[in-house]
Amino acid sequence: MQNDIRRLLDAAASAAKEAAWVGLRRRRTSASYYMARDGAFDQAIGGLDDGVMVEVLYDGQFAYGATPDLSPEGVARAAASALVAAKAAAGKGVHRFDASVRPATRVSYRTPRARKAPIAPDGVFSFLIDVCDALKAGDEIIQTVSMVEIGRYDYEIVSTNGADVEQSLHYMGTSLQAVARRGDVVQLRTANGPRGLTRQGGWELFDAAGLMADARRVGAEAIELLGAETCPSDRRTLVLTPDQMMLQIHESVGHPLEIDRILGDERNYAGGSFVKLSDIGGFQYGSKLMNISYDPTVPGELASYGADEIGNLAEKRLLIENGTLVRALGSLESQARSGVPGVANQRASSWNRPPIDRMANLNLEPGETSLDSMIASIEKGVLMRTNRSWSIDDYRNKFQFGCEYGTLIEDGKLTRTVRDPNYRGVSSTFWRNLCAVGDASTFAAFGTPNCGKGEPNQVMFVGHASPVCAFADVEVFGGGK
Amino acid sequence: MTKDFKKRFDAVAARALGELLPDERGAISYSAELSAFMRFNGGKVRQSGSVEQADLSIKLWKGAKTYSFMLALSGDEGEDDERVAEAVGRARALMPLLPDDPYQAAPEAAGSSDARYSGTLLPEAEIPARVLGPAAGLDFTGIYSQGLVCRGAANSAGARHWFQTETFLVDYSAWLPNGRAVKSSYAGLEWSDAEYAKRIAATKRSLENLGVEQIALEPGKYRAFITADALAEVVTFFSWNGFGERGLRQGESAYIALREGRESMSPRFGFSQDFSLGVEPAFNDDGELAPERLEIVSGGAIANTVVCSRTAKQYGVPANGAGEDESVRSISMDAGDLAEADALKAIGTGVYVSNFHYLNWSDVQAARVTGMTRFACLWVENGEIVGPIKDMRWDESLYNMLGAKLEAVTKERHLLVASETYERRQVGGSLLPGILVDGLSFTL
Repeated sequence: MQNDIRRLLDAAASAAKEAAWVGLRRRRTSASYYMARDGAFDQAIGGLDDGVMVEVLYDGQFAYGATPDLSPEGVARAAASALVAAKAAAGKGVHRFDASVRPATRVSYRTPRARKAPIAPDGVFSFLIDVCDALKAGDEIIQTVSMVEIGRYDYEIVSTNGADVEQSLHYMGTSLQAVARRGDVVQLRTANGPRGLTRQGGWELFDAAGLMADARRVGAEAIELLGAETCPSDRRTLVLTPDQMMLQIHESVGHPLEIDRILGDERNYAGGSFVKLSDIGGFQYGSKLMNISYDPTVPGELASYGADEIGNLAEKRLLIENGTLVRALGSLESQARSGVPGVANQRASSWNRPPIDRMANLNLEPGETSLDSMIASIEKGVLMRTNRSWSIDDYRNKFQFGCEYGTLIEDGKLTRTVRDPNYRGVSSTFWRNLCAVGDASTFAAFGTPNCGKGEPNQVMFVGHASPVCAFADVEVFGGGK
Repeated sequence: MTKDFKKRFDAVAARALGELLPDERGAISYSAELSAFMRFNGGKVRQSGSVEQADLSIKLWKGAKTYSFMLALSGDEGEDDERVAEAVGRARALMPLLPDDPYQAAPEAAGSSDARYSGTLLPEAEIPARVLGPAAGLDFTGIYSQGLVCRGAANSAGARHWFQTETFLVDYSAWLPNGRAVKSSYAGLEWSDAEYAKRIAATKRSLENLGVEQIALEPGKYRAFITADALAEVVTFFSWNGFGERGLRQGESAYIALREGRESMSPRFGFSQDFSLGVEPAFNDDGELAPERLEIVSGGAIANTVVCSRTAKQYGVPANGAGEDESVRSISMDAGDLAEADALKAIGTGVYVSNFHYLNWSDVQAARVTGMTRFACLWVENGEIVGPIKDMRWDESLYNMLGAKLEAVTKERHLLVASETYERRQVGGSLLPGILVDGLSFTL
């Protein structure tokens, strides 16, 4: 594709001669999605998308024109349209930019994959149907769903100041779900939440034996929940497994640290942030046990990449160190606007949306506590697994999250299963009560393709890895009207 | 890219459906737009530009096999013709490798429709000046979008449907230094500087209520008037996995207890799927038409569910033109008898809820929802505004909010058009009243 995009860049630059800088960002997406329900075929869907966003810089103002027409004439029209928009907005922008926020990075990145050759659809469906059988752990299971999605994103970024970025990101996601009913009680259990098991890699992620074992556990736990009491309503120590920590990090650390939110770009839609620019460098975000990294270099985590979509080279950065906020999630544009350090995180959902500040991989670094010793240290607590509900205010303070499966902790032991476990709190208060961080043996990485943000709206894939963690004095409660 | 998307739709429909062999059936859905966007923050331009896009979704049925694929279209007639033909060929090669589809439901509907709404929009070079100019002096944040949006559907049974509209939307909020804000929008087909100026002036007047110190409420139960804007968040939310037949049968719906008579909603509460609102087409991706009006909840009880052809086949019930996700479209909620002008008096002492934010389930089976208050929510005492509240989390079963606690519904209803732009500019909207609730549970 490389020759094509150079020719297209020439066409764009010719059509926008008055621009100080012109860049092209092409993205081609291909995906397949296979789903079985109740042991039979449900859906098979394929998809192919391809287009380019032309960006121009005129008098300190960027603007874009996006088109699926990859002919030189089509790209030239998009460039001319972008120039019109840039001229109209020049002098009215939030910041006077220059081309330094579009670095001349030259990088190539490809997802490491152990198995590259696809399994044919009949093999995938044979497995999915077997998985449904495994999910049906008894007659009380009223629905089983198994799904595999496979896809790749191919990016090319070139610019008149010499950027040359080529990336191919390959991913696979699996979802397993069982719904059980006994009388009026209905419970849903999944493997790691809705599309939580989405990671970068090849067909080695199609781990048939592991997924089958997961399916048997998920089905059995759905039935187990039918007989469980509802989660108690009180304050106690809360232990979260990585498939809930994923959501906790995402909502109460990731979003509030996005500098575009702090600068107010999202106030009309996703919201602002309780974090102020002046907090960066000294704010005590959490307890001393809290170490959060932005790390797009983890092989296999969903949002790993070589450069972001304005061509900034991606490198690991610690954002929260021993509980203190030291850096936030801001791209080169946000750094120029705010004057605070950031990361390479300006990303877009596709060729038809402009890049904005995003999370990428945001991870909680492992600590030193084994799971056994963590549980043994808790007199009164509850362990919650697997996110099922999330809600948080527009400044990312007051949250309420729900999980699929809970286990009471009494006098240092895991005792009874509880259903409909929920908890609520305020972000920084909650993180300051982080009282134990699991060791590397409890660490796991998950990812979700479902993060919504931006105007126009964009949905983005992000990765989150974490050990098991414990939080003191949390308000927990169960279900019911 | 051409503005004549109908011609493009006809061409790709002819290619896709014309390629089918005698034992094959197919349906296509088409989406296209020419959009201009301008995002703004603090009354200044954050990002702006234009997007042209078109894509096609093709569903094929051959024997007992079913396969769907989505394809981006380039806008070049020859190129797209080749893409569609190649995609059909790839689908044919793949379909023998799929299991049989036990609930295959190829469409048999053969109707046709053609609805076109043209608009008068801003010249792109004038967008920043004419949108931001009247808001000068405000901390003005949000997005302006405009342009042509098209939807089409066709199938091998002969259905041909087309819908296009040329709209604009300013979706904005205006902020005070104390962090409070008024949220509003201006949408339509014909841009009017005068009408827009009126909207901005009303926003400025509303901001006057927010300049005083915020009131922090203790958790507890409060009388609350929920405006149509706030109710839109609830309505958008409650149709997810809600009133679709499949979700009710397979345990995912929040309204199983309502269906089985174990719970009820207020006799004052009812809503319909009503395409006479004119904001989105009644056809689905398979070219099937929904009835213009379908009562979903009437007098607090489920009157009908939304049913797609696949679910109909599985459970032996009649389909009613739903999409495969079985969400309710174009919701029109029944009006009541409370005058909006009497809302503060009707609250007495309580909360005037201008907007909600970020709803999700606390307990699906109990239809219990949590969310936040947002923007210009006000504390009211003895029918008079006292000042803005600090945002509060609430947690309430819809069986309470729309059931025993539902005290009144307004006479007036507001048409709120869809503002979502995930992947593409959405069409759709809801006609909603405000409601008065006695004892909404605020928790944090």
